[in-house]
Amino acid sequence: MRQIFVTRGWILGYAVFALAILAVPLFIDDPYLLNKLARYLIFGILAAALSLSWGYTGILNLGQAVSFGLGSYCMAMTLKLRTIPIQTGAEGLPDFMVWNNVKMLPWFWEPFHSTAFAIAAGIAVPVVVALLLGWFVFRARVAGVYVSIITLAMLVVVNLLIIDQQRFTGGFNGLTDLADLKLFGIDFDPYSGATYYLIAFSLIATLIIGQLVIRSKTGLIMQAIRDDETRVRYFGYDVARYQIFAFSLSAGISGFAGMLYAMVMAFASPTFLSVQLSLSIVIWCAVGGRASLIGAALGALLVTGIQGSLSETPAFLNTWMLIMGALFVAVVLFLPKGLISILNFGMARLAGDTAMTDDDDEVPLAHGGKLGIG
Amino acid sequence: MSLLDLKGVEVQFSGFRALRGLDLSVSAGELRCLIGPNGAGKTTALDVICGRARASGGDILFDGRSIRRFEEHRIARLGIGRKFQVPSVFRELTVRENLHVARSRRTGVFANLGVRAAGGGADDLEKLAEFVGLKESFRREAGTLSHGQTQWLEIAMLVAQDAQLILLDEPTAGMTTGETRKTAELCKRLKGRHTLIVVEHDMGFIKEIGDVISVMHQGRLLAEGTVAEIENDPEVRDAYLGSGGISGA
Amino acid sequence: MTDLLNQILTGLSIASILLLVSLGLAIIYGAMGVINLAHGDFLMLGAYAVWLMESVFGLGFLPCLILVFFIVGAVGWLVERTLIRHLYGRPLDTILATWGVGIILQQGIRLGAGAQLRYVKMPDYLVSPIHVFGVDISAYRVLIFAVTIILVAITYLLIFRTGFGIRLRAVMQNAEIARCFGINNARIYSLTFAYGAGLAGLAGALVSPLKSVSPDMGTNYVVDAFLVVVSGGVQSLFGTVASAGIIGEMSGGFAYLWNDTLARALLFFLVVVLIRFRPQGLFAMQLRRG
Repeated sequence: MRQIFVTRGWILGYAVFALAILAVPLFIDDPYLLNKLARYLIFGILAAALSLSWGYTGILNLGQAVSFGLGSYCMAMTLKLRTIPIQTGAEGLPDFMVWNNVKMLPWFWEPFHSTAFAIAAGIAVPVVVALLLGWFVFRARVAGVYVSIITLAMLVVVNLLIIDQQRFTGGFNGLTDLADLKLFGIDFDPYSGATYYLIAFSLIATLIIGQLVIRSKTGLIMQAIRDDETRVRYFGYDVARYQIFAFSLSAGISGFAGMLYAMVMAFASPTFLSVQLSLSIVIWCAVGGRASLIGAALGALLVTGIQGSLSETPAFLNTWMLIMGALFVAVVLFLPKGLISILNFGMARLAGDTAMTDDDDEVPLAHGGKLGIG
Repeated sequence: MSLLDLKGVEVQFSGFRALRGLDLSVSAGELRCLIGPNGAGKTTALDVICGRARASGGDILFDGRSIRRFEEHRIARLGIGRKFQVPSVFRELTVRENLHVARSRRTGVFANLGVRAAGGGADDLEKLAEFVGLKESFRREAGTLSHGQTQWLEIAMLVAQDAQLILLDEPTAGMTTGETRKTAELCKRLKGRHTLIVVEHDMGFIKEIGDVISVMHQGRLLAEGTVAEIENDPEVRDAYLGSGGISGA
Repeated sequence: MTDLLNQILTGLSIASILLLVSLGLAIIYGAMGVINLAHGDFLMLGAYAVWLMESVFGLGFLPCLILVFFIVGAVGWLVERTLIRHLYGRPLDTILATWGVGIILQQGIRLGAGAQLRYVKMPDYLVSPIHVFGVDISAYRVLIFAVTIILVAITYLLIFRTGFGIRLRAVMQNAEIARCFGINNARIYSLTFAYGAGLAGLAGALVSPLKSVSPDMGTNYVVDAFLVVVSGGVQSLFGTVASAGIIGEMSGGFAYLWNDTLARALLFFLVVVLIRFRPQGLFAMQLRRG
């Protein structure tokens, strides 16, 4: 019974969270604030995505901003093409290409005239990149810190390439002055409620998808890999496939988050693929709770929320960043499961149980085959 | 026909020859004990069977099929399970979850997305936990178990895996007398249904469970026979000389 | 011919800065297995220390260098004492914790010294170029080259020719057994970390006149330093030296062929490929698998 209470308690927790973020626009009529909150929710999606690969599978991806950035550029490219009549001359080229003496729209820009293609690409491109890198890394059984170093180095490579290919990517400035996304007759103005709701539902969907994966046997095997990668092999699982799956799933979600971010910010730039951002995701995740989807998301909301509310005064912001650095160190040292574990503990205590228990309250499924018990 | 055949298997670690033409043959349903002085290559023999070490020469046949070049997970899928000397379970998962992971009837990523982590025949898993005396700890994290309990959990996981051939590396290491007896009991119950190869030092334990004993020395098979035959074999005595005889090894 | 020589010297100059910047990291990583992401911020700290001493207290550049080594070394010692020692055997957590330390240092400087760029003046006697084999090189770069060689030599002697070095190597090979022989592991680790941090500070001081000094200047250096250490092989001083040389020459060459940005991208990509195929680095010792 206690376990049922705890399980139901968690479903309740997710429901309260979902309702809370959906109710926000009812109380806020400042579009700038709404836009800011929408941005924090996107960071929540990113942190939850990292939790899947880091917290559940043990892959500390320090280059998650690659997926985020690629997604944002895909969205930005299609939105940039929509602004052409206003921004450029008769050539029909994005403004920065005109400045860089590009005469014709490059071939890989062409399909981005289609919004549907761009949205598909915003997920597919990061996933394909993750599949390739994952295959390259995990097939060779590279593990632990080496994965982190490789992902970090790849981030730098992609970032530099985007900066270098100024003619096609806008270089340092990125893609600016984007149009609004118009989909199904809705205009997703960055400062509108519609955009906020789109993002809020995306975060909720991310949490649900994540929960479905974690609560499947695949999710269990991912956690087993986090505990002892080698041992899992001797039960017949192809560990690399599971790692590639978690890595790519996380990348796909991050790519999607990147698309939303390009919409909300109305630009995309190499800062979306910066080492700073990539490591910030790790902080949010660690502070909130790396092995908890909602914990990671809450961590992102908390840290970026405080950061944002202090950003008007540089001295406050710098002091807060200092405190956050200390908080981060303290969490790593004393609270490896993040702030959410305090909540966890409290809930378990409430339920009258000192140890956290796994949910398992349904009737066991029937299955074929006998086990070899004498 | 034998289930497992090692034919002249060679294993080298940066120049050091750990196995020098090991021949070993085990029939289905047998419980084979593997003994030998330190450095004889017992653990390496288990390693090379389950794919942890690579053979540089010779061949390994399982069910008549060469598995020498297979990756670990493919060998495991054929029905070979391994228990390590240092008990290795998934410490942050519960006993139930450990057993659930171990029962790897389906191994694909997408196949397992459809299987619930909380479901999947909890009844059977609980029966298994009961089999090794872990029923009370069914929902505890494996990291909180005692040393002996961890060893038994790992054995139960091999049963859950439903491995045809189970390789046990010093299952009684670090156990109390009572725990050792219980482990012997477990091994006997597994015999027949599964084929077992057990590496052990504890002669009392071996006498309790073993039928045929294989003695290894310097990476080769030295002798094979019943406990009595082995104890009276002069070559075996020579090999163990200096380490206080076979019982003191 | 002069062109080629010029190119080689440019590469050598890049290499010596790379080596200077990575030496401290290599020692900490190699000896303790600690991935110190705060390395770049120790470097930044060194640069600020020089700036402060030079502009506020009017100290000469060379005496500053010696002081900086001890100041940043002391900071490193403190960090090891309070934080790092709780994280041995948790490599991923040390990445995170040291990065947190980096944030704290950066923000501390930002609050204390302001976010604006600072400039350290190059000593007058080092400004004029030196004429070598028909090529002009800046005297300051020659100084960096010389200091780097001296530091490598000192480090080599420290590790292989002193009692401290023997104890350090013992701890590196087997901490448990070293303790049984009465070696104070904790002290060895603290001193090693302090030494590595001190080297980082010194590196920061030396590069400060070349570029501006800012609170986030460390980020790029730490990434470069990792490149060098990981490619060279974790526990190999020779590897670090060799890989700094190779990477320096390569980045000089790539930059000559294309441009700086593309050169960096290509180098990082090569390192990714290298780690994939040789995680132990180019010059690591072959250890027996356990």
